[in-house]
Amino acid sequence: MISDIIAIIRDYWLLLLIGQYPNGPLGGLAATLLLSILAIAFAFPVSIALALARLSNSPFLNWPVTALVYFTRGVPLLMLILWGYFLVPLVTGANVPSFLTMLVTLVVYQGAFLSEVVRGGIVALGHGQMEASRALGHSYLGAMRYVILPQALYNVIPSIISVFVATIKDTTLGYVINVPDLTFAASQINNQLLTQPFQVFFILAAVYYVICWSLSRVAIVTERRITRKRAGTASQATAKSLKLAALTDQPS
Amino acid sequence: MNTIAPSKNSPMIALTGVHKSYGNYEVLKGIDAEVARGEVVVICGPSGSGKSTLIRTVNRLEEIGSGSISCDGNNIHQPMPAKELNRLRSRIGFVFQSFNLFPHLSAIDNIAMSPMRVKGLQRDVAYAKATKLLERVGLADKANAFPAQLSGGQQQRVAIARALAMEPPVMLFDEPTSALDPEMVGEVLSVMKGLAADGMTMMCVTHEMGFARDVADRVWFIDQGQIVESARPEDFFSRPQTQRAQRFLSELRH
Ligand SMILES: Nc1ncnc2c1ncn2[C@@H]1O[C@H](COP(=O)(O)OP(=O)(O)OP(=O)(O)O)[C@@H](O)[C@H]1O
Ligand SMILES: [Mg+2]
Repeated sequence: MISDIIAIIRDYWLLLLIGQYPNGPLGGLAATLLLSILAIAFAFPVSIALALARLSNSPFLNWPVTALVYFTRGVPLLMLILWGYFLVPLVTGANVPSFLTMLVTLVVYQGAFLSEVVRGGIVALGHGQMEASRALGHSYLGAMRYVILPQALYNVIPSIISVFVATIKDTTLGYVINVPDLTFAASQINNQLLTQPFQVFFILAAVYYVICWSLSRVAIVTERRITRKRAGTASQATAKSLKLAALTDQPS
Repeated sequence: MNTIAPSKNSPMIALTGVHKSYGNYEVLKGIDAEVARGEVVVICGPSGSGKSTLIRTVNRLEEIGSGSISCDGNNIHQPMPAKELNRLRSRIGFVFQSFNLFPHLSAIDNIAMSPMRVKGLQRDVAYAKATKLLERVGLADKANAFPAQLSGGQQQRVAIARALAMEPPVMLFDEPTSALDPEMVGEVLSVMKGLAADGMTMMCVTHEMGFARDVADRVWFIDQGQIVESARPEDFFSRPQTQRAQRFLSELRH
């Protein structure tokens, strides 16, 4: 069993690491990491923009974004991926790489999820901080940037990390539209070996576990560092770090 | 932009026929009053009489239904671009009952941030000024402490310094000592006394009658959304003219 796993890794490590590259598109772990990092990097600012739009008084901002958030939260990600896969070429007429389709879908989907986390963090702060900022002459957006968001985002770090981890896990769904990621590479290997599905997918699971676990470690360390900087609020923060353990929690 | 060059004799704050309602409930029922330059006005009155609402209309944290309010020659409640309102607000200091310090910033960052972000002050200039202000409120040694590490009295003194950092010609206080333990009230009041002595125009909602007696030039007694009495403190405390004020004062003394 363990020797099988070692043999698979020995024979297929390059495929697992970078897919068919350079003879084909970049794949394997490299593609998974790239997809995850890009999805998170774009979903995060998108989520802040969506949250601010939902909090705004303007119906032109508020309405469409509320509709988008409700829609994305009520539809399975797999359906969005398939829609994107079939619709985007119809609309654009161009042959969009599946990697890009997957990236855009993840950004929209996780951006919508994350926007609710961010909005919750902002609302939970209460009016006092915004009022104090406005009384000092800050604009609404200035107050958001320098006063509200630094606190709101810090307070919801555990939930943000949950969404990030979910994003990494969701990259595996790219498999259905042939995104050449780690899952795709593993299933290619499985198709060649035929007799060792457990061993192959064990490797897959282990790699995802390590990635997600490292991310949550980074989050805990970051949070502790901020907490130490703002010393005096320590008791609050340990409660939050404990919540980080529940990484499978999807905010809903 | 909207500034009529304010003359030395024009009032710092002028409220004219100010009405405000929440739904059907009329909170301010026609307020006409003035605060002269350098004057200290203490506002008192029973709970729910509209004191907070009144003081919050002066920097437009609350909108008004009708009437007008001018501050330092600016018509605060006329339609204006958001930028202009922000500029006017930056010239009206406001101190909250609940301090509302920014908990993610140290004391000195709390004070220096807005001059930099709102007025575009250079970093070193802003921090030099913040250091001076911390000295002025007696907290030079707490520059790097975060709000959570400060007592209520210290937090409120930082909040006053934060408001002063914008160099406003007028300061508004909404029950600045009500959230404090009794032993910390004095330190905040003495900072406020210092301000008054330096000639700051102040409008202050408070039930600290000792402060009113020593520092105020005038006391406004508010009841049910109206200024029922406006008098010099010595007159107000010894000879309240209305029954409502008499009742309020006798309840306050018990
Ligand atoms: N946002 C609001 N919506 C509806 N009613 C309000 C609102 N804010 C205040 N009120 C009401 O307006 C009245 C005046 O409130 P205000 O806070 O100005 O009183 P106050 O004199 O400051 O009282 P206190 O001494 O308790 O602080 C109260 O009856 C209050 O319930
Ligand atoms: Mg009040």
